[in-house]
Amino acid sequence: MIALDNWLIALASIALSPFLLVVLLIMVLASTGCSLGIREKYVQVLLAIFEWGRIRIEKSETESGRNSVDGDLEREDGGEGDFPLTPNSSSANLLARQMEAHSHYDSAVDGSGRKSIRSGFTLSDAYDYCKWGMEAITEDQVTKSFEAEEINSWNLLTRTNMNYHYISVRLTIVWCLGFLFRYFILMPFRLLITVIGVLWLTTCMAFTGYLPNGPLKRRVNQYVNLMCFRIVSRGFSAIIRFHDPQNKAKEGGICVANHTTPIDVIILSVDNCYNLIGQRHHGFLGFLQRALSRAANHIWFERSETKDRMAVSQRLKDHVTVPHNLPVLVFPEGTCINNTTVMMFKKGCFEVDCPIYPVAIKYDPRFGDAFWNSSEQSMVQYLLMMMTSWAIVCDVWYLPPMRRKEGEDAAMFAARVKNEIANKGGLVELDWDGQLKRQNVKVEWKQIQQKIFSERIKFE
Amino acid sequence: MGNEVSTHAEAECTFNADEINRLRKRFQKMDMDNSGSLSVDEFMSLPELQQNPLVQRVIDTFDRNRDGGVDFKEFIEGISQFSVKGNRESKLRFAFSIYDIDGDGFITNSELFQVLKMMVGNNLKDLQLQQIVDKTIMYADKDGDGKISFEEFCVVVRNSGVQKFTDFVLVV
Repeated sequence: MIALDNWLIALASIALSPFLLVVLLIMVLASTGCSLGIREKYVQVLLAIFEWGRIRIEKSETESGRNSVDGDLEREDGGEGDFPLTPNSSSANLLARQMEAHSHYDSAVDGSGRKSIRSGFTLSDAYDYCKWGMEAITEDQVTKSFEAEEINSWNLLTRTNMNYHYISVRLTIVWCLGFLFRYFILMPFRLLITVIGVLWLTTCMAFTGYLPNGPLKRRVNQYVNLMCFRIVSRGFSAIIRFHDPQNKAKEGGICVANHTTPIDVIILSVDNCYNLIGQRHHGFLGFLQRALSRAANHIWFERSETKDRMAVSQRLKDHVTVPHNLPVLVFPEGTCINNTTVMMFKKGCFEVDCPIYPVAIKYDPRFGDAFWNSSEQSMVQYLLMMMTSWAIVCDVWYLPPMRRKEGEDAAMFAARVKNEIANKGGLVELDWDGQLKRQNVKVEWKQIQQKIFSERIKFE
Repeated sequence: MGNEVSTHAEAECTFNADEINRLRKRFQKMDMDNSGSLSVDEFMSLPELQQNPLVQRVIDTFDRNRDGGVDFKEFIEGISQFSVKGNRESKLRFAFSIYDIDGDGFITNSELFQVLKMMVGNNLKDLQLQQIVDKTIMYADKDGDGKISFEEFCVVVRNSGVQKFTDFVLVV
């Protein structure tokens, strides 16, 4: 019996040790910020597989004719849309539609613009509103921004398309293999790394907290921050490309970025250290918040305080004026958007008089959908989805710092920054408030329309 | 459901199977209580529509049988009027029906007043609005019956820059 036990133990350690070794290797690499280039190769292999998958799907489509299957059917590459399709996202379609919609909106709004200025009412005036209404009914940009982005070719994840794995045997086999790989090899690794990463983060932060305030503490905090977040980011195979690192946020500034997922914080913290600002949460997030607060000055406020925008704004101002405080990371949209559009930037943080460092984050939707749809998924479900995706691939662009100009108020400045971010990241700009996820449009918007129209026809 | 849709497709409208599928997905997404018919509230869940002063009229023109809801057939027919493949007359008819509240084929003084009131809200006094309405009807009404018929409507609209009607490109 004892011999058997020994054998089992020996077997277990032999099986486990490569596993543990790999984990250790990843952690060491993460801490030092080096990379073996394995993840890049992985991405290339995946892309090749997706391409192969796409060709197979197209072949079978043309063979069986264009039969529309009941249920979800994604739009194909080279479909009959009137707009050019980019290889991997429907952002281009949205962009083209938005340009049209905006021009209609403008002409309905002020009556001038493309159409000749006509004072007085004519019977064809109602038509603009109809057109606008019809466009909204067939597809509107607001609800579209709160759903996962559609991609044009299948990326071998069932969650993006239910039908494709019945198309050909080979494709189904590849999908099966992919499924097994993701759920039984990738996920346990990632889960382990994340758990270790979070524990390590908590420990390191606690340790840093005990140091006396001063330059040593700041240096240690910086190093610890980078190391821990790098480890955690390997927990969902984050492959991040940073552009223009000379524009990284510096002390005493505010860093502003578009928001897609809570993971944005991790993505950005891999390269630079920030102080965070946000609502105090309970549960796992609250635990993380407390852990982080031990080592650095993060700004957490109670839910009741958020209604009092002046108080929050004041705390932000106080923070940036203290010397040696790290730049604050702010997401002015206030909520997660699906990474095809940028919604209205709340002007609160733009009222502070300090340089703003805009950052554009764009996720590649082919490898995994990073968007957190908080109305459909809980945090745990979301993390599970992240860990069973292929990878999280994203581009981060650091934009040159901006300051408020003379005569520009906070709202205009916010719009200007938003414009820069949207252009750099290839995202569509919308003026809608992200809170529309949860609330209705204010009545005032309709009243504005009515006022503008009546100004036009009043000239009689 | 699929079969019904394809017969409708052939009979009534100008969309192909893919476009109908997309519209059906859209319809189902908007139909939050899965009743098979879109109520005013379900339309109003779209923020861009909430901003539109004429939203009630747009929804009413979809609802042909006036049962208070828009079922999928009415939905498709309504949108197909606006599609790029629809002809100019169907667009003119649509615009006409925005004004023609009771659907009797004539735009009366009071109907025009009501629609204009929706578009201006409280920004003009009723008296001013009435003047505009009277003037418009006088201008358009050629046969002197005090109402605007569809033919008279087309004439007026043609004279006032009709290219708007063909501008709309519906992307499904």
